[in-house]
Amino acid sequence: MSAYLGQIGAIVWKDLLLELRTRERVVAMGAFAVLAAVLFNYSIDRTVVRPQDIGAGLIWMTIVFGGLLGVGRTFHLEAEDGALQGVLMSPVPKDAIFLGKTLSNFVLLYIVSLLVVGVFMLFFGMELGTSPPMLALALALGALGFVALGTLFAAVSSGTRMGETLLPILIFPLLIPVIVFGAGATGRLLSGRPVSEVVGDIRMLAAFALMAVAAGSVLFRFVVED
Amino acid sequence: MSGKGMRLTGTALAGLGLLGMLLVYSLSFFWVSTELSQGVVQRIFYVHVPAAWTTFLAFGIAAFTSGMYLWLRDERLDRAALAAAEGGMIFATIMLTTGPLWGKIAWGTYWTWDPRLTSTLLMWFIFLGYFMVRNSTENPEKGKRFAAVVAIVGALDIPFIHLSVVWFRSLHPDPIVLKPDRPSLPADMLIVLLTSVLSFTMIFLGLFLLRYALETLRAGQQARAREATA
Repeated sequence: MSAYLGQIGAIVWKDLLLELRTRERVVAMGAFAVLAAVLFNYSIDRTVVRPQDIGAGLIWMTIVFGGLLGVGRTFHLEAEDGALQGVLMSPVPKDAIFLGKTLSNFVLLYIVSLLVVGVFMLFFGMELGTSPPMLALALALGALGFVALGTLFAAVSSGTRMGETLLPILIFPLLIPVIVFGAGATGRLLSGRPVSEVVGDIRMLAAFALMAVAAGSVLFRFVVED
Repeated sequence: MSGKGMRLTGTALAGLGLLGMLLVYSLSFFWVSTELSQGVVQRIFYVHVPAAWTTFLAFGIAAFTSGMYLWLRDERLDRAALAAAEGGMIFATIMLTTGPLWGKIAWGTYWTWDPRLTSTLLMWFIFLGYFMVRNSTENPEKGKRFAAVVAIVGALDIPFIHLSVVWFRSLHPDPIVLKPDRPSLPADMLIVLLTSVLSFTMIFLGLFLLRYALETLRAGQQARAREATA
């Protein structure tokens, strides 16, 4: 068990170190998030709608689109210089590779989601709402479900001719629960409703994340074999 | 079943199903009584509901055979998954076209974000992803594995999608046939509905067998072509 966790840890460490040195994906996702918020500002007529009313939805759309940008490139750098073959041939179980990749993607996306929320607070003068810890939990569970499916299907789409173009077509239909429960919880928390109103959403986000991580761990080996 | 036997059975089933559809059309236009509150438009229900049932059947078969394919790596299981997914796409399209036609008159709008409508639309897109993945790999064997993964994750995700879209209030009529106590449908409507479900299922199984036999022929032809060049 501890050997298994060590293997996962090694993958996470390798990915985060690589990201720390290149800063490729997190900068791309972060810049995307800020720029998307700027575009949203000009796409809304503030005399007609209040940004607070649609803020939660926009936050989640930004997280999903920005996340796609980073998660889609999970295997890109490694595939380019042939290092992916090395990782896959190492005596690490395939599900440990998947869990490691998912965790490192999760760390990146979670940083970006917190940044997105911060940017929206700043740009649209939104309040942090009822319970910042619950908001952080909803973001974490939603991001985990998203990266688990995203990592699995990034492996699928990077094995096809269409590459990253295919990724949104494959995962958008599957992400509806993350959007519904994530944006639902975020919206209610931001507008100051009591925590008891979002417990159901949080539970569903947790169940979805669990399903996505379990499905990915089992199915990943069939995607990367040969 | 031999290839020829499969083609004959498939043709016979699909033919019988089409005859059954003629019966369903004549029954639903001339025989069955008109529903009191909805009027004539309710008759589209005899096409819509069986199409929905067939879509779920097809999705179930595709996901199950995909899972078995990843486990056993038998080409026949992959062919079955492909044949079921193609059938499912057709019947999902029928469901998605008849639903809004009925909705325009009954609800006053072609599209609403009703849970069952939304789930079906997303299912249609999951099927689309299944075919796109399958056809965009250099190595066909890889495409089959990828497609199987899409079908399995899709099937696991459907309950979540459904639960989540239910959170938006439902306009859809409640189940009236498969509900815990006895069906509340009048006998004549139930007869037409069941005839239609039977016909749709036969058409689906017929198309499924024909499509499966075609894939088998294609695989055999490709194997012969490889031998000839070797």
